[in-house]
Amino acid sequence: MSIVRKLVTELLPFVVALALWQALSMAGVWPKVLFPSPLDVAQTFVTDIASGVLFVNLGVSLRSLLLGFAVGCVIAVPLGYLMGLNRASRDFFDPLVNLLQAIPGLAWIPFAILWFGLGQGAVTFIIVMSVFFPVLHNLLTGIRMVQPVLIEAVQTLGAGRVAVIRHVIFPATLPNLMTGIRLGIAFGFRSLVGGEMIASTDGLGYAIFNAQQYFQSARIVVGMLTIGIVWLAMDRLILRPIEQRTTMRWGLVREGLEQN
Amino acid sequence: MTDLLVASGVSKTYFDTVANDNVVALDGISLSIRAHQFVSVIGPSGCGKSTFLRLVAGLDRPTAGEITVSGRKVTGPGADRGMVFQEYALLPWKTTAANIEFGPRLKGLPAAERAAITQRFVELVGLKGFENKYPHQLSGGMRQRAAVARVLANNPTVLLMDEPFAAVDAMTRQRLQEELTAITAHERTTVLFITHAIEEAVFLSDRVVALSGRPGRIVADLEIDLPRPRRWDDMANDPRFAAYRDELTRCIHGKS
Repeated sequence: MSIVRKLVTELLPFVVALALWQALSMAGVWPKVLFPSPLDVAQTFVTDIASGVLFVNLGVSLRSLLLGFAVGCVIAVPLGYLMGLNRASRDFFDPLVNLLQAIPGLAWIPFAILWFGLGQGAVTFIIVMSVFFPVLHNLLTGIRMVQPVLIEAVQTLGAGRVAVIRHVIFPATLPNLMTGIRLGIAFGFRSLVGGEMIASTDGLGYAIFNAQQYFQSARIVVGMLTIGIVWLAMDRLILRPIEQRTTMRWGLVREGLEQN
Repeated sequence: MTDLLVASGVSKTYFDTVANDNVVALDGISLSIRAHQFVSVIGPSGCGKSTFLRLVAGLDRPTAGEITVSGRKVTGPGADRGMVFQEYALLPWKTTAANIEFGPRLKGLPAAERAAITQRFVELVGLKGFENKYPHQLSGGMRQRAAVARVLANNPTVLLMDEPFAAVDAMTRQRLQEELTAITAHERTTVLFITHAIEEAVFLSDRVVALSGRPGRIVADLEIDLPRPRRWDDMANDPRFAAYRDELTRCIHGKS
């Protein structure tokens, strides 16, 4: 695919969505304060970038998100492999994990505030609680899906337990781990925004909430769009390149079902 | 010549969760295999021939009896008993070369030696030019060549093969069979080969052991005295080939 065509494919959905949005706002059905136009939003974007407010809030939020994500993964990934590979730990942890799994991260906010006070500490805590379960759950599914024949084949080549884990279990679980990480970040964003609205005085979620109090509807959209753009950048710049070099290259995961 | 692989009174009973009952898969199999022989075990589906191979590989434990390889009792899987599976079982995240290099790498051989071994077996199975391809980029026949090379590169005492050509098309299968006889004759590999195809067993083997239907018991044990190298074109017109085939068919199906 040529670069021009790739660029068009990539940008077309955004251009269409933007045009639709502009047309709707120009139709003037709703007052501006309820339905800001793309132009208003763009102006606010520029203002908030120039004043530095946007980057301050973004920095605060990203820090909480990445810290919460890292802590969640550091607990979930080793626990997942332990539970997947060891019967006794699975029997012990599985009921507890299932009990806690259905509790939304946001339900931890009251305790988060009591324990960490108002601020990003409480927000980070609920992000940890939100990231942990999708990562663990998907990793466990991945371990259950490893083909026994692959393990048996390397065992007849002389592989012991460590070699089986390193050369079979780890790579075989990567597609599911990536799914868990995607869901974990997505859940983390939800908790970030929800948490900041209730338990914090800065960050993107707080900025969105605060803008509403002053009827700055364009600023609300700026906050929302910033979250979307940050996620898009993470996906395109980090997650997808990792997948293209691993799971997709190995033929474990494909872009889509169509034939090349 | 001494026996390389000895199975004595091997039985396997397992619990069938669907039938909710114990199933006797193998009943008192005793079998000795000499070094450098190509031995096939044939039998109808469910006769326990694959079970027997898994017991030799150490992937399952016998209910009774024991198996020794080079005088050592089999207690678990090991590099001396490399296995080729019907479904190839190549590691999707490793290239052809890395799959073939896997065993030597586990043994801790130096890189230069590993590279030489890999190169030799890549060429032996005709995969030159495909070293850096991943398994999903190879055809079924090529994948099975790579799987055979992977085990041979590990220099096993005995090569175990579980219906390795059942999943490839008929033309590819015949080519792979001819290549396998040439390679194992050249490498003087001891092979224990499982198949339900009688002609395949006769074509490949120095000796064919036939099992009855469940529970598996040995009903025939035949030396195949045909000249090597063997080619399908020659076999088609060889009355001895047909005679072996017919005799084994009679033994398995109990017709006279």
